Amino acid sequence: MAKTNDDQRLDLLQGTLDMLILRTLLWGPQHGHGIGQAIRARSEDLLKVETGSLYPALHRLEKRGWLKSEWAISEANQRAKYYRLTAAGKAQMVREQDRWTQMVQAINLIMNPAPSDEE
Amino acid sequence: MRPDDDDFNEEIRGHLALSVKERIERGEDPEAARRAALKELGYIPAIRDSMHRVWYSRWFDAVTALGHDMRIGLRSLLRAKGLTLTVMVTLGLGIGANAAIFSVVREVLLRPLVNREEDRLIYIRQSAPGLSTENLTFSIPEIRDIQARAKTIRAFGDFSTIDFTMNGLRGEFGAEPRTIKAGVVNGSYFEVMGLRPALGRLLHAADDRPNAPGAVVLTHRFWSTAFNRDPKVVGRTMRLDARSATVVGVLEPSVPYPTDTDIIANIVTSPHHLGATMVTRRNHRMTELFGRLAPGATVESARAELTAIHGGMMRQNQEAYPANANVRLSVTRLRDQIAAPARTILLLLLATAGVVFLIACSNVANLILARSVRRENELAVRAALGASTGALRRTLLAESLVLCGAGAALGVVLAYLLVNVVGRYAARFSVRALDATPDASVLWVGAGLALIAALVLAFVPRLPSAQTPAGLGPAGGGVRITPGTNRRLQVFAITQIAFSFVLLSGAGMLLASLTAMQAARTSFDLQQVLVVDVANPVGMDGAKVIDFYQEVTRRIEQLPGVTRVAVGTNVPWRDVGRLGPGYRFTIEGYVPEVGEENPYAKFRNVSPGFFAALGVPILAGRDFTDADGRDERVVIVSQSIAQRMFPNGDAVNRQLRWTEAETDPDPRRIVGVVADVDDENVVPGPVLRVYQPLRQLPYGGRLFVHAKGNPYALVSPVTRIIREISPEQPVERAATLADVRAEVLAPERLNAFVFSGFAGVALLIAVVGVAGVLAFSVSARTREFGVRLAIGSTPRQLLLHVLSEGALLVVIGIIAGAVAGYGIGRMSMSFSPNLRLPGLLPVLSAAAVLGGAALVALLLPAARAARVDVLQALRSE
Repeated sequence: MAKTNDDQRLDLLQGTLDMLILRTLLWGPQHGHGIGQAIRARSEDLLKVETGSLYPALHRLEKRGWLKSEWAISEANQRAKYYRLTAAGKAQMVREQDRWTQMVQAINLIMNPAPSDEE
Repeated sequence: MRPDDDDFNEEIRGHLALSVKERIERGEDPEAARRAALKELGYIPAIRDSMHRVWYSRWFDAVTALGHDMRIGLRSLLRAKGLTLTVMVTLGLGIGANAAIFSVVREVLLRPLVNREEDRLIYIRQSAPGLSTENLTFSIPEIRDIQARAKTIRAFGDFSTIDFTMNGLRGEFGAEPRTIKAGVVNGSYFEVMGLRPALGRLLHAADDRPNAPGAVVLTHRFWSTAFNRDPKVVGRTMRLDARSATVVGVLEPSVPYPTDTDIIANIVTSPHHLGATMVTRRNHRMTELFGRLAPGATVESARAELTAIHGGMMRQNQEAYPANANVRLSVTRLRDQIAAPARTILLLLLATAGVVFLIACSNVANLILARSVRRENELAVRAALGASTGALRRTLLAESLVLCGAGAALGVVLAYLLVNVVGRYAARFSVRALDATPDASVLWVGAGLALIAALVLAFVPRLPSAQTPAGLGPAGGGVRITPGTNRRLQVFAITQIAFSFVLLSGAGMLLASLTAMQAARTSFDLQQVLVVDVANPVGMDGAKVIDFYQEVTRRIEQLPGVTRVAVGTNVPWRDVGRLGPGYRFTIEGYVPEVGEENPYAKFRNVSPGFFAALGVPILAGRDFTDADGRDERVVIVSQSIAQRMFPNGDAVNRQLRWTEAETDPDPRRIVGVVADVDDENVVPGPVLRVYQPLRQLPYGGRLFVHAKGNPYALVSPVTRIIREISPEQPVERAATLADVRAEVLAPERLNAFVFSGFAGVALLIAVVGVAGVLAFSVSARTREFGVRLAIGSTPRQLLLHVLSEGALLVVIGIIAGAVAGYGIGRMSMSFSPNLRLPGLLPVLSAAAVLGGAALVALLLPAARAARVDVLQALRSE
């Protein structure tokens, strides 16, 4: 597997971790380790979630009622906590995705202005 | 459900396992995989804490930690049983006293009355400071004048008390005829008071009609005690003197004011209330007046209006309001009027209890401080191991919370027991105190005080800081005492001494005035005179009344063991105020000074032999005889009258005249002069009294029996004889004069007892505190004493040295107490003018008691200092 150099990794933008977790769980229930791996794999190794931020974020989302957790035996043959999206969590995901899209557009308008505006 | 730390750990463990597995699958060596996974994970406790923080607030953690510390504190306190017990008892006393007194204060001063819209219910009183009459009451013409003009009062209720001889309804009482106290009221009384019936109905305007049938409402107390709450009593008939009346209802429990009566009756039940004297005489005052404020009126506006009306009324009827009587009117809310006499004493009690609490706290602070000095090593080790200042404080707080919690628990138990005692005690100032019950507020007060104490105690000890690692000495066993700690200990000890000195002086003052009253000389033969209430017989004309009392006297005198029997109107000290505030009089041959008004004298009816029966000497002239009062009118006057008006001793045979408008103006010849008998004050003063023969005014009611042996042995034969003569005659309240006086003095004794109790507790705590401080200082200075002995001090010098150190604390404490006490006294006198500062004697004796007790307590540690063994002391470190 091609490994990305640590220098090339991107720091997560503030406030995007929750959205990424919710998005990841859209494919089905997963444990913390799996979520971290999924984010890393799907970003083609560009994003890496620190365990120290991943777990509090999971618990925060669970406390808000967007996730539900249950214990199950993992592929490592040990108990692990599996998280899945709740209905409220799905709705929240949609909201966050909308906000994210708007944010990207807004930032684009500033960073890559249309040529007419430049003059 | 919130996940706990086990969940967090397991989740991390699961993560680690997955991470390792993934690395091994990727081809890493298992050991290297494990190490890399751990490295990637980072600091595990930090992760766990970050998960924990999502679910648990900092407050939750702090409380949990405190709980943990408290369990440890409990265990360590159980090892120090002596200290724990002392602190518990000390705090328990302080908290218990405060909580109990607070319950009574709340009941008496803060809770509203049951009366409907009680804040609009006012009490109107006429007083005559010039006659030292606090409550002059009103006459019917006065009430009519006020009622006719007042606009601020919507309705008036009037109430006067009268004694009836009650017969009938005998089943419930047994066969005894008895005197009952009745309130006679007008038809609007209950409406004005805003009271409801517990049973049946109350009295209305319809009961006021002159041809209305007699109607009686039982008070709740009387219904409960005499009728055992029998609902069937409503509708029954009772005989009151010669008339009969129907019980129409029972009043709800309410505060009786100004007097507690058995029944409340309408006007037609009392022939006296219908008579001309009552209705027309402006000076015939026996009625209390209540009012309901009119809409829009306030107590202030009512006071202004009624005072103006009263002033006008006095100007129009000057003969009824002599200038030297100084008649005035007061208008107050009923609730405030009831609370007023209790306010001073209750606030004083509350202050006293507060001071005891302060003393208890400073004592406990001392104990804790001493303990924390002994624990300095432990605290220093903890600090060195990384415990933060906050964590150390928390440990101390946990321990003091456990201690104070235990103290509070004991205090609340004490409070529950004390509330009833304090309530009964305060009941003589305000009947409402009897209703005080221990309730949740006791718990709150106890818990609040304990919390305050715990906070104070947790912040008293000095914490070891990084800069002073002195506590970690290698010897470990030695106690070091820093100057700062020592000063704190001393300040607390001085505080205790100062406050207990204040309390002791106060108690000393009360004891001194009690002793003065008990030692007061009376002119009576206290032990041998039996007094019995034998109400004036009902339904007889004057001559029959005389015959009745004569027959009673004659037959009782024949009993063995009886030396003399007489009839009078007033039992000393018990019948204060009976027969009213007195009348003005003049004596022929006395020349008043310009502008001098005629003096007031109270009159008493007595039978011949009255003075002899009481042991009162006749100073000039003679006693009454059976012949007196038949044709010529005669009187005997008290020594003060004779001396004041005829200093040359020629009062006998002069003519005395009453000069009041409604009194009989016929002259009465003075046939004798007797020693002053103050039958109203325990400490006798000069009194103006005019005695007249019973035959001249056939109204008695009190029997005086002088006995040779035990007077109480005569009670049943006396009762039997009277019943033989008149079966329906009440014979009540038999007691010797000594016991009557003791009964009257009971409140004073109780006062002195309660405050002495407080002062005693304070003294005990303070003395133990001072001795404790000294004992601690001695034990911390064993080495110093060893050195002193080694360089030539004698044990005697050491003893004196330690004693003088303690004595200095006590002296400073007493001086501080005297200064503080003087300040407090002056301040409270400005709130309550009837307070006095104690005299020199109580203050000096308080100082002596405190000093003596402290000296005894100090001897113990001082002796220990003197017994220090040189070699052992020097080897100890």
